[in-house]
Amino acid sequence: MSWLNAFRANVVKVVLELTRYLPNTLAMIFTFYAIFVFMFLGIKFVGDPTTAADNIRYVMVANSFWFLLMMGVSSMGWELSAEALRGTLEQLYMSTVPPYMILLFRMIATMLINTVLLALLITLSMLTTGQWLTVDVTTLVLVLPPTFLAVMGLGYAVAGLTIVYKQMNAVLQLLQFALMGIAFVPLTAVPLFELAPTAKGIDMIRQVMAAGTPLATFTALDWATLVGTGAFWFVLGLGVYLLFERRSMNRGLLGHY
Amino acid sequence: MSITGARHGSTDELLRVSGVGKSYTGRKGSTVKAVDAVSFSVTGGEVIGLLGPNGAGKTTTIKMVCGLITPDTGSVTVAGHDIRRERRAALRHISAVLEGNRNLYWRLSVRENLTYFAGNRGWSPATIRERSAVLVEQFGLADKVDQVVANLSRGMQQKLAIAVALLADTDVLLLDEPTLGLDVETGYEVRTLLADIARSGKTVVLSTHDMAVVEALCRRVVVIDKGRVVTDDEVANLKRLFRSRSFEVKLVAPLPGVMATELRTGFNVTDDSTSQAFTVELREGGDLYRLMDFLRAAGAEVESVEKADANFEHVFRSLVNGAAPSDDPRQVRVGGNHVVA
Repeated sequence: MSWLNAFRANVVKVVLELTRYLPNTLAMIFTFYAIFVFMFLGIKFVGDPTTAADNIRYVMVANSFWFLLMMGVSSMGWELSAEALRGTLEQLYMSTVPPYMILLFRMIATMLINTVLLALLITLSMLTTGQWLTVDVTTLVLVLPPTFLAVMGLGYAVAGLTIVYKQMNAVLQLLQFALMGIAFVPLTAVPLFELAPTAKGIDMIRQVMAAGTPLATFTALDWATLVGTGAFWFVLGLGVYLLFERRSMNRGLLGHY
Repeated sequence: MSITGARHGSTDELLRVSGVGKSYTGRKGSTVKAVDAVSFSVTGGEVIGLLGPNGAGKTTTIKMVCGLITPDTGSVTVAGHDIRRERRAALRHISAVLEGNRNLYWRLSVRENLTYFAGNRGWSPATIRERSAVLVEQFGLADKVDQVVANLSRGMQQKLAIAVALLADTDVLLLDEPTLGLDVETGYEVRTLLADIARSGKTVVLSTHDMAVVEALCRRVVVIDKGRVVTDDEVANLKRLFRSRSFEVKLVAPLPGVMATELRTGFNVTDDSTSQAFTVELREGGDLYRLMDFLRAAGAEVESVEKADANFEHVFRSLVNGAAPSDDPRQVRVGGNHVVA
């Protein structure tokens, strides 16, 4: 019950901060929408007209999930860096609910809110292009949770690095290109890429939403890879976070900035 | 509900710090000992001051007590729970204000800050509403409850930070420099609040440079200097011990300039606003004779010699300058510092 209360408190905080920093949130959505519009214009005027519709739908999903990855992963880095700067990080560590759980609650809240923003971004993209994606709720409900596990694993890893090294701006900027690669590169081009965090989930969603592939087409191996990689990246990220947390406490770095 | 919801009257040991030490590696690879074998304990309902000059190791000690810094040596137990091995259980008994108004979310309101931090301790929204209503009223924050923290004055922010810690309703409250940076009026308000907390029976460990706060609130002080405990004693005892060694000397005429300089060089003069009247600390039994011999040789005529009233600021300055009273049977000299045996 006490963890449920903590979860509620963190969801409320994430929503409140989102509204208090509303211009920043809107600017972020606008940026990703603008990037999509440029890609769309590129496909329309420069690309092959015979595959333009497929490409647009592909890019629509990829761009939207790039946004989701960026918001989910980088937000942990920015947020913890701001917490250390403000002096609230140590106060969080005085909570009886363990900090890794507080982070998890925040990441879940962030992912839920970003899913709504993702829907908004996809709708805007569809209205702009006139190309419609297949929205299969069952597929999304089944595929998104394991995909989010990997996102949260990456979030933990970034958070762990941030509580030791604080200034992670350069790494976060590099990370956005790595995440772009994960969101955009098709697994058919680099099959091994399906082991990368979230790549399998995004690929499956892309197949359903952009190509209209039925859910039943996916094999047991597809599902096993999706769940396995999600769990692996989550556990790895959490491990990295706990390792750096211990290092930070040994070196007395929690309150430093 | 009282201001704190404190567990009144318990005299059990709530906090034990046993030989904790912490070293850091400097930029050139040198090892810096921030805290060296610090030990003290606090019983229920006690209000103790943790004092020391800047860089003495107070904040590192407090953060080790809170489990925010892992000690290299020693242990900390809170209500019988080891802060490292039973962290969650220990944290149920302890809350802290570590960086005052920096401990808050400035874009959230007073109510939202209280709700968020208490929520992270597992409190239900109903319980938080009930407890925070009493606290905001008592802290004079009731009409600011929906204002974002960024719009509050520094004093209000400081009060809110203390309210956040109190809302956790723990046995022990740690306050690191609660009056730092406040103007006189707000400092007084916060001091009054702290006095209310102290009177309610809450166990408080207070780190501060504000000697007025120490005199007003603390029965006992632990003085730390260069990472080690210099003294652990009751404020009244220390003042009495230092009073017995402090003398106000009045002369018929001022000492000539060169002799006034020699006086300051040869004796521990703690107040020499004029060279006709000064306060001097006489550490050894024979120091009074030596002072009289000096004054006779200087041709000074003594009008009066009286025992001085020692305020705690004077006691503190003397302690960190190495003038702990050598005839206190509880104190032994270790490595140039006095520690409680």
